[in-house]
Formats: sequence, C-alpha cells, structure tokens
Amino acid sequence: MGRGAWEPAPCPMPHAPWLLAMQWWCAATGFPWTWTWQWYPGVHLLLILLAFGWWRLGSAQHWVARPWGWFAVAWVTLLATLDWPIGKLGAGYLASIHTLQFLLLTLLVGPALLRSIPPEGWRALAPDGSATARFLRMMARPLPGLLAYTALVITTHFPAVVDSAMTSQLGSLSIDLAWLAAGLILWWPIAAPRGFVVLGVWGTIGYVFGATIGPTVPAMMMVFADWPIYQLYELAPRVWVHFTANQDMKLAGLGMKMFGDIPLWGVATYVFFSGNSMQGELVDG
Amino acid sequence: MTRYAALLLVAGALACHGKADAPLSAHGFVGAELAAPVSKPDLEFTDSRGKAFHFDSATADKVTLVFFGYTSCPDICPVHLANLAAVLDKMPDSVQTHVAVVFVTTDPARDTPAVIDQWVHGFDPNFIGLTASDSVITRAQHEMQLDPAIKGAVDAKGGYPVGHAAAVIAFTRDGKGRVAYLPGTRQRDWAHDLPLLVAYGK
Repeated sequence: MGRGAWEPAPCPMPHAPWLLAMQWWCAATGFPWTWTWQWYPGVHLLLILLAFGWWRLGSAQHWVARPWGWFAVAWVTLLATLDWPIGKLGAGYLASIHTLQFLLLTLLVGPALLRSIPPEGWRALAPDGSATARFLRMMARPLPGLLAYTALVITTHFPAVVDSAMTSQLGSLSIDLAWLAAGLILWWPIAAPRGFVVLGVWGTIGYVFGATIGPTVPAMMMVFADWPIYQLYELAPRVWVHFTANQDMKLAGLGMKMFGDIPLWGVATYVFFSGNSMQGELVDG
Repeated sequence: MTRYAALLLVAGALACHGKADAPLSAHGFVGAELAAPVSKPDLEFTDSRGKAFHFDSATADKVTLVFFGYTSCPDICPVHLANLAAVLDKMPDSVQTHVAVVFVTTDPARDTPAVIDQWVHGFDPNFIGLTASDSVITRAQHEMQLDPAIKGAVDAKGGYPVGHAAAVIAFTRDGKGRVAYLPGTRQRDWAHDLPLLVAYGK
C-alpha cells in the first residue's frame, strides 16, 4: 500500500448520502482488484427496466411470437458485460476487458436487441409517414450509419475521453450506453425489417467493409503505440502481477481488430455467397 | 467521408501524442527534483540470491532507481516495476547499461530472498531485489528522507498490508538522490527522464 512523504495529502471525502456514496455502476476506483463479488444496483436496475419494457412492448403490440431467444441473448450478454467481474475489470483495470465489453455490446447485444423486436413490432413503433419511420429509414442508409458508428467508436476510445470518463460512474455509464447505441446503429442498416433497408448485396458488403475501418484507428493506436495510451489502465493496480499494462494494451488492440472484424466479414461472406442482402433476415427470421 | 476520416485520424493522433505533459523541473525532469540531494546509504543488504549487497559500492556510477515496497503489495509496487521494466526494454544500450533498478522489501518477514527473487525477476531479470533486517531497512528509508514503512493490522488469514513510501528515488551517477517519482508516473515520463538521469553531470 503506497504511502509516503512524497505524496500529496489525500482529498478529504465530503459527506455524501448513502445513495450517492454507493457504487451504482462499475467505474474506476483505483483500489486493488479483488475477486470478491460486488453488487452494482444500477446495472441490475437497467436490466430489469429493459426486460419490463420489452415485455410491455410485446403485450401492447400483441406480437404473434415473442423472440425470446434473441432477447435472452441480448439480456444475458448485457448482464455479463456490464456487471461484476467483466464490468468492473473493464471499467478500471484492464484495457483488454474494456475492449471485450466493446465487442460484446456492439457485435452481439446490438443485433440481438434489434432481433428481439419482431417486424410487426418495428412497423408499429414506426408507422409509415411518421417521424420515427423517417428517422429509422435515414439510419438504415449506409452513410449515416457508418458516420455515426465510426464517430462513436473513435470518440469513445480517445485516451482523454477514456481517462476522464471511466473514473466516474456517470462517465462509465455513458461509455457503455454509447457502445450499445453504436451496436444498434451499426446493425440497423443490415438487420432492419423490409421497408426500412436500402442496401443490396454489394451495398451490404461495402457497408460492412466500411464498418471495419473505424475500430482500426484505436486498435492500431493500441498495438503500435510506444507507451500505453490510457493512463487509467497503465496506472491501475494489476489484476495479475506480471500481466503488464503494455501486454494488456496490445492484447486489447489485437482483440479489437481480430475479433471485431470476424462477425462483419462473416456477414459479407454470407451475403456474397448467398447472393442476397441480409435485409429483413435477422428481423424477419 | 475521406475528409471526415482524416479529421478523426488527426484528432486521434493529437489525443495520443506521447510527450510528457507535466511541467518540468529545473533540470528538465518530469519527476520532482528534491530540494536538497540525498546521499546513497552506506548500508549492507542481502540480495535475492542470498549474497551480501553493499548498496553504495554495488551501484557505483549507475543511475540507481530505488523503491521500497513488498511483494504482496496490491497496487503501486507492481505498477512501478512493470512500467520501469517496459521502458528500460525500449531504451538504447547507452541508457540501459547505466541504470540499476533496486527493490528493497519493507516486509522482510514474508519476503524471503527466494520470494523476492521470483517476484522481482518476473518483471526484469536485471532488477535487483534486496532485503535486510528491519533496522537496516528503516535506516535506509530515513537516509533517503522517506517515511518508514508501517505494518498494518493482521487479518483473519494472517495477511497484512504494509504502508510504505510510494515514490521511486532516482540517484544520478554521482551517487546523489536528486529526483522523486511519485505514484502516477507514466512510462512516457520515465522514457523522457531516464536519458537525462544517465547524462546528468556527465
């Protein structure tokens, strides 16, 4: 435990009500890592609200069949990604786990959530001629989707953004929600129901290729930087004593590029060989 | 689209600019220069192979980076040593050969030479791990103007934390401790300062 004459005096902790003092969301604390389970009520509250909202939406819209499987995939993956231990490790200890969270949220939770609402649900949510329908049609076009996804991915990986955001619960929550939004935005042009999508076979392949460019920027920065780019993870207490910040950062960069591209190239390969765009397939089933 | 991507790349590069951004000391160090340099302690320790190690003579003409800690330390100790190992690995031979990293345990009861040997050399085979009696360790800290380490409360499993100074003290090659590196020192800070420390006074 570090302490000494060279260190500045610690800031006095202001008195805070227990609600504010409680850790609601995984964020960096600087405390040594412990494998003792910790409860993050904010994560569980969000997931309960999500399940309740999905159930109510299905009941209100009288879905013929509830896509239980896809919702379960999204819900369980969200729980695993945001809760202890992955949520805590990613928020304040290991850049590689932070990247794992990014991959799970954008590549699994995003499409699974889209798939968890059946086509009639989307049509009821966005009736023809409504502003919502116009917005969803716009976001189903490749350029807005690519720009929004790329901007979110690159912005949320800026060292200055990560180092400042992850030290507060609100900032950490914002990054997680931004990645969830990025996942929805990324997959909407590919997986939206018929009537929303404009991409054909080659359009889908081009879109998928374009989507691999954004994550390449932070991935390459992590792989080729001389020194760790994130202060947060460089100076965090180590989880495994000889697993260094440099190894962690390289692993994060490599993982982001290698495992991030696989599902997208899988889509491109499927579309190429099947000769069909995926429009409606994910959602229509 | 191309212009947009280029802007993002430029912004990303700026955000990741690798130079130390902390204000520099009078001699250009990122680390905090001591108001009055301290001398190397003239004390004898035991190294991680169990051999006598006379601190002053064994580190003569080397930039000596001294850190007091303990091998079961959960936070600052492995961070300092891992960062130093990573930076030294990328330094040219002209710097590497003139730098000695010395870890002195503040928990000699648990940190036997064998334990220190495995732990320290897990970071870098050239790092030096030392132990000694409590009185020698306390005297060494005192001579480096560091607060002496304090053993914390023993838990149910018999473990305990040890409060210790968290700064690395850098001795230049003339044997004077001149710069302290506080918690929060980054690899890029070390990369900036190590060549300066080696060149200091030469």
